[in-house]
Amino acid sequence: MKKTLISALLLSLFAQPAFAGTGQANTSAIVMFLLFIAGTMVITWWAARKTQTTSDFYTAGGGITGFQNGLAIAGDYISAASFLGIAGLVYVSGFYGIIYAIGFLFGWPVVMFLIAERLRNLGRFNFADVTAFRLGQTQMRILASSASLLIIALYLIAQMVGAGKLIVLLFGIEYKFSVVIIGVLMMIYVFFGGMTATTWVQIIKAVLMLTGGTLLAGLVLYQFGFNADTMLAEAVRVHPNGVEIMAPGTAVSDHPLNALSLGIALAFGTAGLPHILMRFFTVSSAQEARKSVIWASSFIGYFYLLTFIIGFGAIALLVRHPEYFTTAADGSFNMLTDLIGGTNMAAVHLSNAVGGSLLLGFLAAVTFATIVAVVAGLALAGAAAIAHDLYANVIARGRSTEAQEMRISKISILVLGVLAILLGIVFEHQNVAFMVGLAFAIAASANFPVLVLSVSWRGCTTRGATIGGFVGLLFATVWVVLSKTVWVDVFGNVDPITPFPNPGIFSIPLAFLSIWFFSITDKGANAQNERDAFDALTVRSQTGIGRSGATEH
Amino acid sequence: MQKDIVQQVLNHPKYVELVKRRTRVSMIFFATALIIYSGFILTLAYLPDLFAQPLGEGWTMSVGVLTGILVVFSAVIMIALYVHFSNKYFDPLLEQVVRDVE
Repeated sequence: MKKTLISALLLSLFAQPAFAGTGQANTSAIVMFLLFIAGTMVITWWAARKTQTTSDFYTAGGGITGFQNGLAIAGDYISAASFLGIAGLVYVSGFYGIIYAIGFLFGWPVVMFLIAERLRNLGRFNFADVTAFRLGQTQMRILASSASLLIIALYLIAQMVGAGKLIVLLFGIEYKFSVVIIGVLMMIYVFFGGMTATTWVQIIKAVLMLTGGTLLAGLVLYQFGFNADTMLAEAVRVHPNGVEIMAPGTAVSDHPLNALSLGIALAFGTAGLPHILMRFFTVSSAQEARKSVIWASSFIGYFYLLTFIIGFGAIALLVRHPEYFTTAADGSFNMLTDLIGGTNMAAVHLSNAVGGSLLLGFLAAVTFATIVAVVAGLALAGAAAIAHDLYANVIARGRSTEAQEMRISKISILVLGVLAILLGIVFEHQNVAFMVGLAFAIAASANFPVLVLSVSWRGCTTRGATIGGFVGLLFATVWVVLSKTVWVDVFGNVDPITPFPNPGIFSIPLAFLSIWFFSITDKGANAQNERDAFDALTVRSQTGIGRSGATEH
Repeated sequence: MQKDIVQQVLNHPKYVELVKRRTRVSMIFFATALIIYSGFILTLAYLPDLFAQPLGEGWTMSVGVLTGILVVFSAVIMIALYVHFSNKYFDPLLEQVVRDVE
């Protein structure tokens, strides 16, 4: 049954080029794309046969090795937003793009040194499972699913819109069609293959992305005799802002607090991202989890270095190709505002410039697959929040069977998929950059403080964690809504109410303070029990004793 | 988990040593990471001119770009060192505790 359904869907996918004729479809890109989709479908079919239990579905049964998991985490990270987005940022403003890359990367030391192993030893599925270990189930799961679903929705919008634009540019398909294709593909991966398929798609994609990025950066450096400084000199020579691209720039010096705030949210947000946390539980042991972090951070760090080369290389080289720009009647163009498809497409155009249409096709296919894979991972985390946290533990209060939970997660995937498609269409013309920033800010302000204090501070109680978590969540959200990115750019008001867009510098300390205050003033009997349960949690999180299987819950 | 096992582990001298040493090591690593990262962010926010300087005569690469690249390396190196510590010193201690209790 499953088999026929998948092959039917495969057939309909192969039929796509029929309506791809509306724009400048790139044949090699389409061939590469279809090959990749076909390959991943085979994986999904294979994974579907192995996915039997909820544990298989959410965490691939704990059967992924550290190296594989490292690649999968890197895959989650090397999303279209970070590859296209950071290369695009470097292309526009040089040094400024590096700030984002370093912020994303520094989430890893924070995760590693503060919580990774302790979470892993607890042996739980996600954020809610960890905090509910000794704190009140219902409250923690409601907090966790609110924050997780909000983060996931924001991320989904950013990825869907990014992917939609990419497909419009490359395949000439209409925007709405491309959003639907992404949504449907995502649902197929997750629906049939669960975490096993999602992980394997991420692994393959990460390998291809690293290969493609290395090739692209290598070809760029080759043009400059493998001398990075020659490339930078050329970039400075042709960029409208000249030597300023080597410096932090006015965006930072006008609002130093904003840069600081962004930096904090990026570094602490990683630890609270639901789809990243989940990946620690797909491996069999703490040693493997550790190994996966080392691999993940190496791959991510390496890839960001490639992205810098690609971004600066795009400045130096794209200007020689007027065909990538919308030119005025006299053939002149502005390299920053006239790039076809927007500056996010800088890396894509560059691959065409140095590697021809074959490299373009390869990179385009992998980038597209990246988005589908990241969206699939997000949807899975969202389904876990709904089926595992809200349904199984709050609504059914633990009386549901595994089969019921599976059914609810599959329904959730369908709902999330349809929602992602709709949101992608609604937000087509919005600036999506702030959504990823907001997602990180919420993760850092709501999830991160609760997570850290619940495993490391005896005094933390349910009341403190719930109030503190929601204070962080609401403060960060309201701050962003009242900031320039939403209040002015989306709602069209004249002046922003908050001085700068990034809330982290206030919302994170505020959340910590609230948890502390509402915990120490909590004199209830439950609060005492929760403090007493801290010993059991500590022993288990330090040693893993008491955790019978890798992924049993 | 039974209460007596928890107490047994808590009183185990190797466990006490493990937790003490591991907490200290991870705090040192965390503080180092924080200093490097916030040093980078604070410098670019408040001393942007320092980062704008070229590396030297005849160079285009600025101090900031090179620092950024080094900061990326530092993150990976710190994680690798921490994992090395864990594997070499903490895992043997942990294994002993687990063996004694189970």
